[in-house]
Amino acid sequence: MADKSNTTQAETKDAPILIQMGIFAGVLFVSSLISPMFPPTFPVPTPVIGLVLLYLLLTFHIIKVEWVDKFATFMIGMIAFLFVPSGIQLTASLDIMKAQGVQLIVAIIISTVVLLVVIAYTTSFFIWIRKTVFHGDISVSETVDKK
Amino acid sequence: MSATQTTIITYLGTPIFGICLSLVVFLFGQWLFKIGKGFFLFQPLFVGMVLGIFILWLMAKMFGVDVTWFYTNAYKPGGDIIFWFLNPATIAFAVPLYKRNDIVKRFWLEILLSLIIGLFISLFIIYGVSKLIGLDNNGIASMLPQAATTAIAMPISDAIGGTPAITAMACILNAVLIYALATWLIKLFHLTEPIGQGLGLGTAGHTVGSAKAIQLSSVSGAMAAIAVVIISIVVDVVVPTFANLMGIAH
Repeated sequence: MADKSNTTQAETKDAPILIQMGIFAGVLFVSSLISPMFPPTFPVPTPVIGLVLLYLLLTFHIIKVEWVDKFATFMIGMIAFLFVPSGIQLTASLDIMKAQGVQLIVAIIISTVVLLVVIAYTTSFFIWIRKTVFHGDISVSETVDKK
Repeated sequence: MSATQTTIITYLGTPIFGICLSLVVFLFGQWLFKIGKGFFLFQPLFVGMVLGIFILWLMAKMFGVDVTWFYTNAYKPGGDIIFWFLNPATIAFAVPLYKRNDIVKRFWLEILLSLIIGLFISLFIIYGVSKLIGLDNNGIASMLPQAATTAIAMPISDAIGGTPAITAMACILNAVLIYALATWLIKLFHLTEPIGQGLGLGTAGHTVGSAKAIQLSSVSGAMAAIAVVIISIVVDVVVPTFANLMGIAH
């Protein structure tokens, strides 16, 4: 069994990088066509639709993970850098900060911590319920369980 | 338009200035992070942001032009090109999510409930804290939608009587703060359970938080990716209702 999975691993080859980029571009293009269909009161931006779309394509085995894996990993590794212009965009908000900046920044720092901690604790609570009330299996391994 | 402004547009108005400045400040941040032995304030993204803003402010003062004008005309053309690539980078999170489909299939109910209920609790706390600090209704309304990605948070902020620019600032600072402080906060609050940790990082830090989560574990990364999608849609529905309930929307 182990040998078999090893050989399939060796056989699966990454698609050429241009094809991977092509798939991303295609998904992005289709998403940009879907995004304006949502009403202005319920905005769903292009990248969010694209994430769902690519996930569905992968889940229904329409495209294989090795066709997009390498480029996806590369893009995710770049995110901190890609976010630099967003950070520098705050130059345009310097006027707002002058007016009530300290209060706003304190509120934002607290909100960030609140969101992280509350969501994480709520999840732990529900997982605790699964374990104690429903006696469910809550083990999470770092490697994918093949069942 | 003055002669200085024309000169600035001629020499710095092309995208290459913005791209070079972004690269230089980020690379400087990486170098500083390395020699600072990973001191959290030296995170490349944080250093890059602060240094970039400082350089633009300094240059604007040197040329004697308005800082916002200088940003829009000199930095933004290049910055926008880099910014655009956040689109494919966000889509890329479908891959780590798909790789941990086993977790999604087993825990989908917990994920959904935690995000919806967790967001409700967070909204109450954020509302209370904002009120305590002394923000007016406009400021509070700007704080509420920040769990969503910027493209969703801004129109909602506008709809409930907030200022979209402040909400955008909140979303950006969320990401920068989470990227810099995640490791420390996780230790401080003992957020070791990977599903909750991932959902929290994705909600509080958006795509940048997800990138951080992937470094921690594959489960955490996948959960952060799913949080980015679901929390945005939950915010779409829940925040306007919450604002009405609290009587801050007009």
